Amino acid sequence: MLLDLHTHSVQSDDGRAKVENYCKWIRKKELPLDGFVLTEHRQFDSESDYRHLEDEYGLVILKASEVESDFGHVLVFGVTDELQATLDFTDVRLPLEHVLYQSHQAGAFAAPCHPGRKRVGLFSHYEQKGQVDGVHTVEVLNGGSIPGEDDLSLKMAAKYKYKGFGGSDSHVVSRIGYCATDFPEQKIYNMDDLVNALEGGSFHAVSLRPTQSD
Amino acid sequence: MTMSTVSGFDEVELGDELPTDTPDVSMKQVTSFCHSAKHLFERFTDHDAARKEGFPGAIVPGIMSQGLLAAMIHKWAPGCTIKSIDTVFRGSLIVDSTITMTGAVTDTDDDNKTVELDLTIVAEDGRTGVIGTALVEFLN
Repeated sequence: MLLDLHTHSVQSDDGRAKVENYCKWIRKKELPLDGFVLTEHRQFDSESDYRHLEDEYGLVILKASEVESDFGHVLVFGVTDELQATLDFTDVRLPLEHVLYQSHQAGAFAAPCHPGRKRVGLFSHYEQKGQVDGVHTVEVLNGGSIPGEDDLSLKMAAKYKYKGFGGSDSHVVSRIGYCATDFPEQKIYNMDDLVNALEGGSFHAVSLRPTQSD
Repeated sequence: MTMSTVSGFDEVELGDELPTDTPDVSMKQVTSFCHSAKHLFERFTDHDAARKEGFPGAIVPGIMSQGLLAAMIHKWAPGCTIKSIDTVFRGSLIVDSTITMTGAVTDTDDDNKTVELDLTIVAEDGRTGVIGTALVEFLN
């Protein structure tokens, strides 16, 4: 299955994409995505229910979070009430080790995103503060990256032997699917499936950015 | 599909892309805009002054970016009415650089003859400096 693991909707303060419009866009543009994960900034959206859109458009729509740490931004998949009780999602300086540990304890999967980006990426912090224990997976392809950032992410991920996934980091509808993650021969229909697949490690990042010829 | 101009709602489809545009954000143009808009700050009109404030150079004012996006919409659909336009400023657009504006139709409403648009402005280094949306109404 091919999933975009990093998207934002109007639930994020800087997001301007309606979830249904994502679905319409995917189908109209015949993008090869099987679904996407909403990773709203500094919060977990426990209220919204997108099952009717999943049924109508035949897409998997999952919910996760993007939190902010002292080593950059981190995606957390499998957010539970227990995790929300131990982590203040609104804190923009969460200790990364704490995020990783508490996520693991709660059965969630946490991984730094856009690690090749200055200030908000893991590897720029590694240059100054050194490596953090517990990191095992990072987002190596990000749809919002400028030239060179994903190259750095891939290079450093290889150096530290981290697994890599991809996500568009879309904040508007037309950017969804720029990058995604392929889970070969796996069925992912809910967050438990996704966390298990990420833990299993059988996936790879895919770039689907439009080219001049598209 | 990219349509250079559209004259009515029937010519618009979900997924259509507006022609990309690279507006002139030279110091001359930006300074002229700032005078016209009575929006005179050195961070917009003086590279050195902007650097002293921590910017990489003089920056394009947000209200000018929004105006440029509105102009792009009207260039694409001269007869339309922009019912709303909403922008998020995610990064600086530098004066005297090349910026690229894009737009795409993300929803259509047959009953009201309105369309929703995605809008972006990409800076010279590839970073998306501005994102936004607009709701556009057609009379015919």
